[in-house]
Amino acid sequence: MDVIVEEHVNPEDLKKFEKSYRDQELRGKPSDKAMFDYAWCLVRSKYLQDMQKGVALLEELFRKTKDEVAKRDYLYYMSIAYTRIKEYDTALKYANAIRKIEPGNKQAVQLEEYIKKKMKKEGLMGIAIVGGAALALGGIVGLGLAALSKK
Amino acid sequence: MKSHKAADMAAGPYNYSYIFKYIIIGDMGVGKSCLLHQFTEKKFMADCPHTIGVEFGTRIIEVAGQKIKLQIWDTAGQERFRAVTRSYYRGAAGALMVYDITRRSTYNHLSSWLTDARNLTNPNTVIFLIGNKCDLDAQRDVTFEEAKQFADENGLMFLECSAKTGENVEDAFLDTAKKIYQNIQDGSLDLNAAESGVQHKPATPRNPLNTDQTPNKEGCAC
Repeated sequence: MDVIVEEHVNPEDLKKFEKSYRDQELRGKPSDKAMFDYAWCLVRSKYLQDMQKGVALLEELFRKTKDEVAKRDYLYYMSIAYTRIKEYDTALKYANAIRKIEPGNKQAVQLEEYIKKKMKKEGLMGIAIVGGAALALGGIVGLGLAALSKK
Repeated sequence: MKSHKAADMAAGPYNYSYIFKYIIIGDMGVGKSCLLHQFTEKKFMADCPHTIGVEFGTRIIEVAGQKIKLQIWDTAGQERFRAVTRSYYRGAAGALMVYDITRRSTYNHLSSWLTDARNLTNPNTVIFLIGNKCDLDAQRDVTFEEAKQFADENGLMFLECSAKTGENVEDAFLDTAKKIYQNIQDGSLDLNAAESGVQHKPATPRNPLNTDQTPNKEGCAC
């Protein structure tokens, strides 16, 4: 899963799909296809602004469509984008939503596991700092006790 | 599923000497993901939903005593993904092109998949044609002979497989690797060429002291 989440778009591909989206925009509302192609590239960009722009396009596509399979596809890449942005709660919510459409979807299950692992890992680091402080405090108390016992 | 970069770096002295990149392409519902799953997990995945975008799998195999890591990109067959999945073709050493022997339309579309594969990979990319679902012979809609002829005319390797029973699945992936390895050996595949789809991981010498070459400090090319 990490390969899929962490993989970057080729800058030339991003440029190419951006161009066809922009060209369509000049003539009116871009097609869903042009929007999706561009969004799928944006969410795999290295840059936060691109990823956010990609999510906004996917959310628009999601709202517009009644097709359940299309919804599933948009949710998956929204979830990946939010994972990359490290907004894990939202990412998890979207990955969960895929399973409402397709219970047992393997890709959604793997993505959920990956997000939870990330949350745990990054959450644990927070605990480790608190734990470290507790240890330091314990050390001070311990020293105090040792000093007391010496008396 | 491991990150290739992270895993490769962590591996230190690699436990494989080559990495080959594969792609799996073909119409929706022909069983691409099931073939990958059968190859990497040795299990059949029933009720497999249509793939979203791309999936990734790896397995280490052995060809001529060399350990080779296959990095396999499994692309979605849905039309929605067709344009962007083309960027995953780049730098593939092997392309598995799949149709369903029980659905003629998936066979009829092969020329379009082949055009993409030829245009987007390099001339040395090994293209392997797979007629999947050969366990469903009663529902057969494409004969072995005509597919074999199509493969021969286009210089493709060919097998009929079953992701369900596992028949010939191993062979399709391994024969592709053997052909790529053969291309490396006879020099037709240049390892240094960009996008060859092959990475060589030279084994690190186990005992640096036990070498005939004296370290040349003056001529250090750092």
